[in-house]
Amino acid sequence: MSSIAAPEAADVQAVTEQVWSSFLGDEEPLIPRFMEPGHPFDAEEVWSSAISIGGGWSGTVTVELSANLALELTRVMLALEAGDPISDEDLADAVGELVNMVGGNIKSLMPGPSVLTLPIVAAGRAAHASDAIEVARLDAVWAGEPVRVSVHTRASE
Amino acid sequence: MKALIIDDSRAMRSILRRIVAGLDFETFEAANGQEALDQLNDGLMPELCLVDWNMPVMDGYTFITSVRANQGWRNITLMMVTTESEQGQIVKALAAGAHEYVIKPFTPDAIVEKLEILGLVGRGIPA
Repeated sequence: MSSIAAPEAADVQAVTEQVWSSFLGDEEPLIPRFMEPGHPFDAEEVWSSAISIGGGWSGTVTVELSANLALELTRVMLALEAGDPISDEDLADAVGELVNMVGGNIKSLMPGPSVLTLPIVAAGRAAHASDAIEVARLDAVWAGEPVRVSVHTRASE
Repeated sequence: MKALIIDDSRAMRSILRRIVAGLDFETFEAANGQEALDQLNDGLMPELCLVDWNMPVMDGYTFITSVRANQGWRNITLMMVTTESEQGQIVKALAAGAHEYVIKPFTPDAIVEKLEILGLVGRGIPA
């Protein structure tokens, strides 16, 4: 697979759609939506996860999604029935695995060799370094619930 | 047959468990390479290990090299199931003794196809 200088929105969309359809199926499509640069993620309750790539290219991949979407994702991945209890630990596990797959596949597009960190998950918006620069972003909705995937690099790199 | 699923994500272990249990494997789980080695040392002898790469405590590559260093475990089939998709990583894992390599995200069919190639399931068995 050939590498690229920096991931673009189309790359993020392609990778995210591949992950989404593999684990959530194709019945409900992931629909991209336009949001102005700098527009904050617009879910009221948010789960987020981040994973860093270091080596031939360095950056951070972040997934933010509404709490409702995080619950549904967890329910599908753990094959839980509607009404089954879902713990924060389950949510963190599923949301972390989501960014692991998205980040790993973005890493494969970038110059290597490089390493992938373990994911970090939070109940709330993602935090970024003060010199982080957003290089690519996908805003989308799935089953009416918002999700954002973004890629940041550091100004110093 | 027995399958040991090694992944730090409970969600991913759940997905893989459903796939291989559907192929009539008895499934066991470990959250990292060390936990898996502990189970092997305690006498578990699976025909198949599905191994993630990036895990805390002990990663999948270290697990594979540890298994291959023990002649008593030479009959265990090792399949990496990971987001690590750089060519160099794939070559490294196969050189260390992994039999097959599946990149996440995957479909159940992709896992079944690899197991068919490895002769661990008959062709045409539904996932």
